[in-house]
Amino acid sequence: MTFARRLVGNAAPRTVWLLAALLALLLIAPAILGKYWLSVLILILYFAYVGQAWNILMGFAGQLSLGHALYAGLGGYVAAGLFFHYGIGPWAGVFAAVAAAALAGTIVGYLGFRFSLAGVYFALLTIAFSEFTRLAFDHWEWAGGAGGLFLKVDGGSDIVNLRGGSLLFYYVILALAAFAFILCRALLESRLGRYWLAIREDAEAAQAVGVPVLRCKMIAIVISAALTALAGVWNAFYYNNLFPETAFAMGRSIEITLAPIIGGLGTLFGPVVGAVVLTGLGEAFTDLGEALGMPGIKQIFYGLALLVIVMYRPAGVWPWLAGKLGLGELRK
Amino acid sequence: MTGHVKFTRRGLGKSALAGATLLGAPLPLRHAFAQAPANLKVALLLPTSGLQAQIGQACRRGADVANQVFTDMKMPVQLDIVNYDTETKPDVARTQAEKAIDAGANVLVGAFDSGQTIAIAQVTEQRGVPLIVNIAAAPQITEQGYKFVVRNFPTAPMLITGALALHKDVFKASGTTPKTAVLMSVNDTFGTAMMNGIKALFPKLDMPYEIVETISYDAAAKDLSVEVGKAKATKAELLLPVCRLNDGKLLVQEMVKQRWEPMGVMNPGAPGLYEQDFLKTMGKYGDFLISNVPWLDPKTAMTQTLERRHAAKFPGDQLDVNGGFTFEAMLIAAQAWLAAKSTKADALMDALRKTRIDQHVMVGGPIEFDAKGQNVNIKAAAVENLKRKPTVVMPLDSAAAPLVFPMPGWTDKRRT
Repeated sequence: MTFARRLVGNAAPRTVWLLAALLALLLIAPAILGKYWLSVLILILYFAYVGQAWNILMGFAGQLSLGHALYAGLGGYVAAGLFFHYGIGPWAGVFAAVAAAALAGTIVGYLGFRFSLAGVYFALLTIAFSEFTRLAFDHWEWAGGAGGLFLKVDGGSDIVNLRGGSLLFYYVILALAAFAFILCRALLESRLGRYWLAIREDAEAAQAVGVPVLRCKMIAIVISAALTALAGVWNAFYYNNLFPETAFAMGRSIEITLAPIIGGLGTLFGPVVGAVVLTGLGEAFTDLGEALGMPGIKQIFYGLALLVIVMYRPAGVWPWLAGKLGLGELRK
Repeated sequence: MTGHVKFTRRGLGKSALAGATLLGAPLPLRHAFAQAPANLKVALLLPTSGLQAQIGQACRRGADVANQVFTDMKMPVQLDIVNYDTETKPDVARTQAEKAIDAGANVLVGAFDSGQTIAIAQVTEQRGVPLIVNIAAAPQITEQGYKFVVRNFPTAPMLITGALALHKDVFKASGTTPKTAVLMSVNDTFGTAMMNGIKALFPKLDMPYEIVETISYDAAAKDLSVEVGKAKATKAELLLPVCRLNDGKLLVQEMVKQRWEPMGVMNPGAPGLYEQDFLKTMGKYGDFLISNVPWLDPKTAMTQTLERRHAAKFPGDQLDVNGGFTFEAMLIAAQAWLAAKSTKADALMDALRKTRIDQHVMVGGPIEFDAKGQNVNIKAAAVENLKRKPTVVMPLDSAAAPLVFPMPGWTDKRRT
């Protein structure tokens, strides 16, 4: 069976066609949209991508991480630092960035999974790592310390060094989002994916039937960390500045988790739908706040909207939407 | 012409349809519809919600009275100021900048914080729209070779150098020079950067006192008794606090509680001690603390007008450095427009580069930008809290009241 056929698997033809249409639309979107809407679309794709990366650990393998900013921050800092200090472009620096994040994931994972930390205890461990990494970076001069690391902006376009305008970054994050989507689909269809689902549902039962639980969890966290590091690299070169206080912030970690939670944990489309809903709502409420001249009203409405979604669609928006559209994907 | 308006069913239907279209249009489009007049369109991007909301709103108040001040000062200019909230996030700042430019902004102003400002600067650089930085201290903003950015705010090293230089002036004017000091700093991004900057610049500035101890504390600290006890034990004659609002309150409360009365408390270029909420909460204990920061020059006619307009429009709010610099950003935009006589970006940018504004509101020389787009004429002022009001006491040309140094003790009768 070819890889493509395996990927498509038992998906309904309508789903495949819709996906193809969506991809085509996204490819031509910059020609249609203004710069503002393009920047909104970039945010959607970014959150869809990091959501997908986080979903591997939580949605597939059932391990709650609230410190994913650690991997994004590490990825960003390593690639940006190599570029800033040694002129090593991000396409090369990304390997070091991914390696650093994977190593951090291995350490967090081993400490957590080897000593059977689960649920909130594992979540606390991830927060702790993120926090003390922030403190370390606050005092690490190579990384600019608390004053931040700034990449040179020259206004030109240079794909080799990932320097350029919104369009370049749009296509890079689109490629990353598509890659993550395909990778997650492939993982879910693999034996490893089945193991993860078994662990998520009942780790002890999975172990009893011979699933190598520790190894599977470790693979999940390493893949998740590595993918998140890629987002960090993209983020560092898109915004051209990094501060420990924001790069490793708890708020950043929470942002990463929101799209898959709202969209549908453990589903492929959940992070994508969640990112669309959250970013769309965010922009709408920002406009509302500006129209009413009441800054801060967004946060109130945004919070209320999330509350309503979580109350009435606890499994996320996508499973409900898929049912309505007859696309039939449920939580794996 | 009778002046009567004819209502027909069809006409009413069309009006209703037009109204409904306008109401139903997506909000960003409606925003664009509202941007038609001929004045210079200035997009003001500030963190008016999120962590920095309080400061962002203080900045905004300075811009809110700008047009009234221009009228009072007989300046033939009015700006269309549109507010955008960056929510204290660089990603939102970037999106908002794109939105503002799509909506027809001729000039962008913002954004209080360096990370957000750099996010905006990339957009303005790519789209060729001038950005006037009201507040942001990272030196890199004007070291990147941006062609469309000017900054009317000192860089972090300028802040520290200016503040420490003023220390000497204060000692000279008072005839009292402390020999030892303790530096206490919050360990957040700003505090750490300031502390490192002070350590680096201190040896070069030939200061008359020695820093005998450096104490940092967590930004979320709820109790500073140990830190203040440690500082008191050094018997330092001067306290240099690099604090923000809440830790500033904790610090002074603890000093009062532990009866630590150094010769003075002199903030070397940080916020906290002059803020309205600090003064309200601390009452008499907030008096006689000195902040060495850029401040409004109370002697200029424009500052007096700004203060009057600000007090009338926002009676419960104090005009401070944030409002002052944001007002000046509007002044710079207005003057550039008057000089350029055009809303075209290149013409405006050319006018901005040639800016020279002698009459403005902050302490310092004329507003003008060097080749990098940095105003290097901004000076620090010694601002002493007197009768619950931050008052300029140095430089003497701008002083609104005489300096009180050394600081009276916590139970001194001068504290009422």
